[in-house]
Amino acid sequence: MTSIPLFHVLILSSLLFVIGFIGVVARKNTLFMLMSLEVMLNAVGVAFIGAGSVWQQADGQVMFILILTLAAAEVAVGLALLIRMQKKYRSLDIDALNQMKG
Amino acid sequence: MAIASNTQALFTMSMVAAILPQLIVAFGATLALLLVAWRRSQRTIAIFTSVVLGMSLLVNMRLLTMPAMQVTQLLKVDGYSSFAFSLILISALVALRMSHSFLKAHTEVHDEYYLLLLLMVLGGGVLVTSDHYASLFLGFELLSISLVGLVGYHRESVYSVESGFKYLILSATASSFMLLGIAFIYSVTGNMSFSAAIPNVIYHQQGLGVFFQLGLLLFVSGIVFKLSIAPFHFWTPDVYQGSPTPVTMLMATVSKVAMFVVLLQCIVAQRYLLLENFQLFLLSFAITSMLLGNVMALKQQHLKRLLAYSSIAHMGYLLIVIIVASAQGLAFTWQSTLFYLAAYIVANLSIFMVIALLQLQGNNGLYQEDITRDDLHGLFWRTPSYALLMILGLLSLAGIPLTMGFIGKFYILTQATLAHAWWLIATLIVGSGIALGYYLPLIFKMFEGRSKASDKTKATLGPKVGRRIDKLLVYSFILLGLVLGILPDIINQFIG
Repeated sequence: MTSIPLFHVLILSSLLFVIGFIGVVARKNTLFMLMSLEVMLNAVGVAFIGAGSVWQQADGQVMFILILTLAAAEVAVGLALLIRMQKKYRSLDIDALNQMKG
Repeated sequence: MAIASNTQALFTMSMVAAILPQLIVAFGATLALLLVAWRRSQRTIAIFTSVVLGMSLLVNMRLLTMPAMQVTQLLKVDGYSSFAFSLILISALVALRMSHSFLKAHTEVHDEYYLLLLLMVLGGGVLVTSDHYASLFLGFELLSISLVGLVGYHRESVYSVESGFKYLILSATASSFMLLGIAFIYSVTGNMSFSAAIPNVIYHQQGLGVFFQLGLLLFVSGIVFKLSIAPFHFWTPDVYQGSPTPVTMLMATVSKVAMFVVLLQCIVAQRYLLLENFQLFLLSFAITSMLLGNVMALKQQHLKRLLAYSSIAHMGYLLIVIIVASAQGLAFTWQSTLFYLAAYIVANLSIFMVIALLQLQGNNGLYQEDITRDDLHGLFWRTPSYALLMILGLLSLAGIPLTMGFIGKFYILTQATLAHAWWLIATLIVGSGIALGYYLPLIFKMFEGRSKASDKTKATLGPKVGRRIDKLLVYSFILLGLVLGILPDIINQFIG
């Protein structure tokens, strides 16, 4: 069995994370922002699993399960807010949310 | 988590006793769910929640003098964490009382509000005792996600969706930064416990040292985001302004205490401060937030926004303690941190209490969403008790002698002087000077326009729900502020 070096795993997860982060920053549609957040969280999951397999511990996978739980909770709250936003503003554009200034 | 001691009992009765306050809150949250199914009445659930929090506080008081104790790998209970948890519980109790009047003034479904509050307190309790990145993560998310729910709770408010969404997106981004940081640290060190000594950072492959440094930076920036320290502060004013006042109160107290305590615990245990770059990062964070927070607060009209900027500055002051921590004994570091946090909490609770009560009074008995500087006009002549409380809080935040805030700043200055951190001291002094520029005008405003206000007095003071308890709370906080300001040793007895 050829093992993948930890360094490569970490590079991969960083790349995925950056892709997700760019999505959060650049997207205007709130639904896509939530999706990009998921990408970020899963990138972290890749890093944890890679590290866990290198150290031969269960910790990495346990953390990944915790992260999945978090992602589900976050999306639940996010979608609830999304529906309310759609009802109130008739749009999912993040620029609609600009009432507070100063 | 690697099971360390398979042969011994994993969980003894003394361990249960040590985390009993947290267990009570957790059990209370479960019971609250059942209670909602049985009977939907705000009165019942409000009383139930306060009983749970009160019981937890009582049990927690007993733990204050207990020696440090490790509860499995995940949690560690000691005098400091118990003190921090009591601060959290007290602020939650006050916020609960304020929420009660707030929810009565609106036609909302209210049961879940109390449930979220309990969960948030539980998250804080897990955070202050955590001794492992996994429990830190759990506490962090428990606190953040329930806070998002609370921020967006008031459906009819103009701002609720906006502030809720901003908070959700930014806090989720911050927590994924923190998580990536933990993942990097774990992949280099192979251990997620705080108390584990860092092994030689250069692990069997080359190039991983970079990831360790990067991970540390990501981790700290995730937590620092929650503390709203300067480069990560953008959400603070909007979310403070847009959320219901009791929730802002919770955010300014519970979340700040929990995050700061866990940050200090982690940094001290891992001895990250020995890393030169790391100290430099914290230094720049502290200086920018002290200056930026105070300068931006100067031109704010909206009271809650002003407090948001002032909280940025205060967290900057407090960060000094962490930066100079290595120079002094640990006990002294903890003492100054906890005292400053206690002072900060009492002041913030006082001010937000007044804001919440003013909102309820509003114009002609209607609920008023925004409280600006002008609403304080002549407050002293209308309701002297509110004005007194507000003045005490503001003076304490400004750090005027004979208030708790002064003693807290004194602690920080002592520490910084012992560590010869002259740049930090200079910034602290300049920042406090600027801060007077917005605290004092607020106080002056309360004394203005005596003749005009006096005839309006009786008209605005209509009969209000639960006035008596609110009044009692106001008076007791005035007393608390005065007594603790003159005799700060009372608090010191409890720390440690």
